[in-house]
Amino acid sequence: MRFLLVQLSLVLATSFAHAASIEARLVRASNDLKVVDPSLKELQPKLKKKFGYDFYQQLGIQQEVLRENKTYRLNLGEGFVVFVTPKSQTKKVHELELEWTSGRASLVKTTVKIPEGNHLFIKGPAVADDWILLAITIRE
Amino acid sequence: MSVHQKERISGLLDGELRGIRRWLTERHVHGCPICAVEYRRQRHVRQLLQANLLPLPMSDSADFFWAKVKAQIRQEDEKSFWTKLGAVVPEVLRERPSLMAWGPAALAIAAFGIFWFGRMQAHGTHRGPSVAANFSAVEKLKTLIPNTSATSLQSNDSQDMVIWVSGLPWTPNMNEMKTEFANLNI
Repeated sequence: MRFLLVQLSLVLATSFAHAASIEARLVRASNDLKVVDPSLKELQPKLKKKFGYDFYQQLGIQQEVLRENKTYRLNLGEGFVVFVTPKSQTKKVHELELEWTSGRASLVKTTVKIPEGNHLFIKGPAVADDWILLAITIRE
Repeated sequence: MSVHQKERISGLLDGELRGIRRWLTERHVHGCPICAVEYRRQRHVRQLLQANLLPLPMSDSADFFWAKVKAQIRQEDEKSFWTKLGAVVPEVLRERPSLMAWGPAALAIAAFGIFWFGRMQAHGTHRGPSVAANFSAVEKLKTLIPNTSATSLQSNDSQDMVIWVSGLPWTPNMNEMKTEFANLNI
């Protein structure tokens, strides 16, 4: 019996160890913030290259372990919510259905394929001179 | 150039011919005694004209006139590649009928190349992750708010994808943005 339990826990541990996770960040891009957000240390150079702003502030973050055909509701704050449904996975490339909403409005709906370790950036609405961005990352 | 064409020789002397047409004409002039004589004759006429220029009355100054000509030449150059190709290919085929025989062969080779490339791509997916497998890709993309659009962009130097949503309402601050989107019911 003890042997069976050990086996079962090993199988479960292995299956979870290989499960990828999604990380969604709500980011404000600005030239006026004058503050470097340490939580965006990894993404900052990529964001700067893609969007050109000097400063980026993380407004919210959510992370979930991906399971196929389950819809996740990632509340990022400031009224922004991301709905994610993993559809399939082939060789560490994840196909996701993704919807970014604000309030009752759907900003964008997309089906994307993202390899593990890669990012998807979505440029959203403009607030004053700043932009609201969504950064999606798939982690192993 | 299988036929003696004075216009071609004139074009060659005026620097109007380019690419394969220039090369073919030059080659013909070097090999054809009739056209070589015509070439020398036309060159002599040009030299005489250059040596005895008549002062022509012009409404524009010389610089302004030349600027207009250059602008016109630039506009001509900006014509699409395919338009130029469409004009050159029939002419080359007319001059080199033997190339017509190569046409079907070239098409067959191209078709085989495409077929072979397709097969290689299909096999590549079984052997291991291809280069494209490292890149993000957008399969479907749509926006529901009226007058908005979304475009996916991928730079060559990055594996990351960017989706650009345009036309979303602008607001002066975060609170107004929340109110604005809360009132949108889409």
